[in-house]
Amino acid sequence: MSLLQLVLNGMALGAAYALVALGFVLVLNATGAVNFAQGDLVMAGGYTSAALAAALPLPGLALLPVVIGAMALLGLLVAGLAYFPLMRRPATAVFVSTIAIGLVLQNAALNLFGPEPRTAPPVWDSEPLRWGAVTLSSQALAVIGIAAVLVSGQAWLLARTRLGRNLRATAQDRDMAAALGIPVTAMIALSFALAAALAGAAGALLANQFFVTPTTGGALILKAYIAVVIGGWGSLAGAVVGALLVGLFETVVAAAVSYTAASALLYAALLVILLLRPQGLFGEAAGRRA
Amino acid sequence: MTLAAAPPRTRRGLGDGALWALLLLGLALYAGTLASPYGLRVLALAGCQALLVLGYQFIFGHAGALSLAQGAFFGLGAYVTAILGARYHWDFAATFPLSILVPLGLAAIVAVPVLRLASHYFALATLGLAQVALLLVVNADDWTGGALGLTGVPGIAVRGEALPRGLPLAAAVWSAVAAGAWLSWRVTRGLTGTAYAVLRSDPIAASAIGLGQSRLRFAAFLSSAAYAGAAGALQAHTVGVVSSETLEFSVMVTCLAMTVIGGSTRIAGALLGALLLTYLPEWLRFLQGYALLAYGVALLAMIILTPDGIAGLIGRAFARGRQGARPPPTPVRLQGSRSATLEARSLTKRFGGVLALDGVDLVIEPGQILGLIGPNGSGKTTLANVISGLVSPDDGVMRLGPRGLRGLGADKIARAGIARGFQTPALPPSLSALELVALARARAAGEIGFFAAVVGRDAGKRRRRFEAEALDLLGRVGLSGEAERACGTLPPGLAWRVEVARALALDPGLIILDEPAAGLGEREQAELRAALRDIAGHGIALLVIEHNMPFLLPTAHRIVVLDQGRVIAKGKPAEVVRDPAVIAAYLGREKLPA
Repeated sequence: MSLLQLVLNGMALGAAYALVALGFVLVLNATGAVNFAQGDLVMAGGYTSAALAAALPLPGLALLPVVIGAMALLGLLVAGLAYFPLMRRPATAVFVSTIAIGLVLQNAALNLFGPEPRTAPPVWDSEPLRWGAVTLSSQALAVIGIAAVLVSGQAWLLARTRLGRNLRATAQDRDMAAALGIPVTAMIALSFALAAALAGAAGALLANQFFVTPTTGGALILKAYIAVVIGGWGSLAGAVVGALLVGLFETVVAAAVSYTAASALLYAALLVILLLRPQGLFGEAAGRRA
Repeated sequence: MTLAAAPPRTRRGLGDGALWALLLLGLALYAGTLASPYGLRVLALAGCQALLVLGYQFIFGHAGALSLAQGAFFGLGAYVTAILGARYHWDFAATFPLSILVPLGLAAIVAVPVLRLASHYFALATLGLAQVALLLVVNADDWTGGALGLTGVPGIAVRGEALPRGLPLAAAVWSAVAAGAWLSWRVTRGLTGTAYAVLRSDPIAASAIGLGQSRLRFAAFLSSAAYAGAAGALQAHTVGVVSSETLEFSVMVTCLAMTVIGGSTRIAGALLGALLLTYLPEWLRFLQGYALLAYGVALLAMIILTPDGIAGLIGRAFARGRQGARPPPTPVRLQGSRSATLEARSLTKRFGGVLALDGVDLVIEPGQILGLIGPNGSGKTTLANVISGLVSPDDGVMRLGPRGLRGLGADKIARAGIARGFQTPALPPSLSALELVALARARAAGEIGFFAAVVGRDAGKRRRRFEAEALDLLGRVGLSGEAERACGTLPPGLAWRVEVARALALDPGLIILDEPAAGLGEREQAELRAALRDIAGHGIALLVIEHNMPFLLPTAHRIVVLDQGRVIAKGKPAEVVRDPAVIAAYLGREKLPA
């Protein structure tokens, strides 16, 4: 396979990871807590998409908004169950509560759909694009395209709208935001809804290329976590860059050596990065005044 | 990672010790009379988990670091036992120590780079480590049997004498748990446990009494790995099979859940969490396919309902007052034994484009009270931070007497004899002044340490000795009446007293105070002045940053004025306030507040 082909495949994988990582960072910024159920939300998105496709004879692109909407509602439920009761508690409490949510989601999927891999419908059916030896399947193209639309939509929302300003203010200093009259609780709930919606999109897209099983989420959350660390803890743009890097790395190394080696080397690379740059690849704004 | 500190000893309920001893007794009764062979097997498995969680409490509960490698250490211990026991038929007397030593060795190797990482990076690095271990084990199938694992791990056998499964095995596992609990009890109940509480709730407060992060965290990380290795080995003997499942992330998740639900710093919490989450799936078995779903729901409910874990809940339900009477104060001789001249030359510190300190020279003689003034942003706090080691200078020389200080961390500088109070008092909110100052005394006496706590004798007696000394120091600053109050509830007028007492506890040569008089009334200012004079009278130097001129001018022997990172004037208070350069510097921004 040519290098260009590998890079394209890696970008497609990275784009899907970016949606996972972005949702992870949204919740992280809004609450200061790690949402460990983010990967399982992706899995839930995949199953939602597969189940809807079985019930409704619609193309994947038409189902996508329905999946995203349903997942946003699930995000609100997660916020209500796993975050708001634990708001005033140490961040590790939320870490564990979202692990519990993940367990519930995994076993709900197992009971509803069984352990066999499922697949979601393609976003659209068409011939792959070809340039000489390079092929880009329509699904890979769709993943990159939809991820690009969602990521830039997210960036636009945060940077240009009043709602986005309120979200950012809540993320930066919750007490100050509340003092300024921003509905902080609603903003946090919205962050969870957005994160779950992104997870839903990622799930619908990934479940067509790679299938979905009840335990899919575990590997995804680890990739997202790595992407966020590489990109700088809490940085949205960094998370996208980190996710693309992780996707590229995995694809290229898997092609050159093996899939197992790709995973092992990814973690090894992560350890080396942390060894050499304890503050992440792109650094983070930190520091405490005495 | 911010973790809620343990509630102060004064409000601790039913003693942790009584609780875990009772629990072990109850289990012994159950095992001896009621349990079926299957029940005994589940009991032994719960014991393995209890040992795992006891170890995890060191790094997660006490050191406050979210390690995600505990499952990997557990799996490693299990594999060492399985490979040596099933393949090479080695004896338990050899495999068990090795199962502890291998994870311990791995922890020691990775500890140095990994432990200096900030919270979430530490979590991820340890997670990466666990994933690498899992992949290695799955792929080294010649040794490990790959994904299928190794079968035929023998039960515990020493010199050919096999320990039967059932009651004897369960008893052996729970004896190991009891031994682990006892060891953890020795380390964490006394002043070393308090040191961990300070370290995780406020690292700056810890460095102010000379407590470094590294040693205590290192010991906690290594202990957690050793306990995990032992737990893994015992589980391998109990189950007889070791597969790559023992290294999977779910083991780590279960351990974390047990720790949080049981209680992350109490020994009874480790036992309760392990027992409950081991038996819960058994109790939910009638739900069949939905058992794990219900388990997740139960987990969520317990996290929400029990903030300090079940052990904390039980402790509070049986709350009782402080044990034993307060010891009479033991007079502490303030010897000023480390009195020496502090000399700083050409200290320079740059923050990005801002030159916060621009070649500052400073000399403070023993017994001298030096006032440091200057407009806001002139570099006063930065200078204090540089001298106390919280910020490292870009250039310059610092020495206390003959000893060079440059390049030392805040904890080492505190040990060298420079104590520090903060503009926003750095006091662990849930600790009492008595506990904090007693801890500072113990640290100064070199009594704080993991291994010291394990081997030390008469822990209770020594604790009372340090508390008696702390009461004397707190009396000197007029705080005896409030000594047992949690620092977080002290009004600002009292907080400075704790900071000064803590500083004195280190027997320092120099004490740095940052705006101690801020917000104090006339009478309290007079008390503060008297306290500072008394301290200086013992040959201890004082560097006092202050905006309050009516307080400072009659207190200080000399005054140094900073403006834009430079010393613009120094001398006797009366001379300095008349200095045209000083007046100009203040009038440029604000009036000389005298």
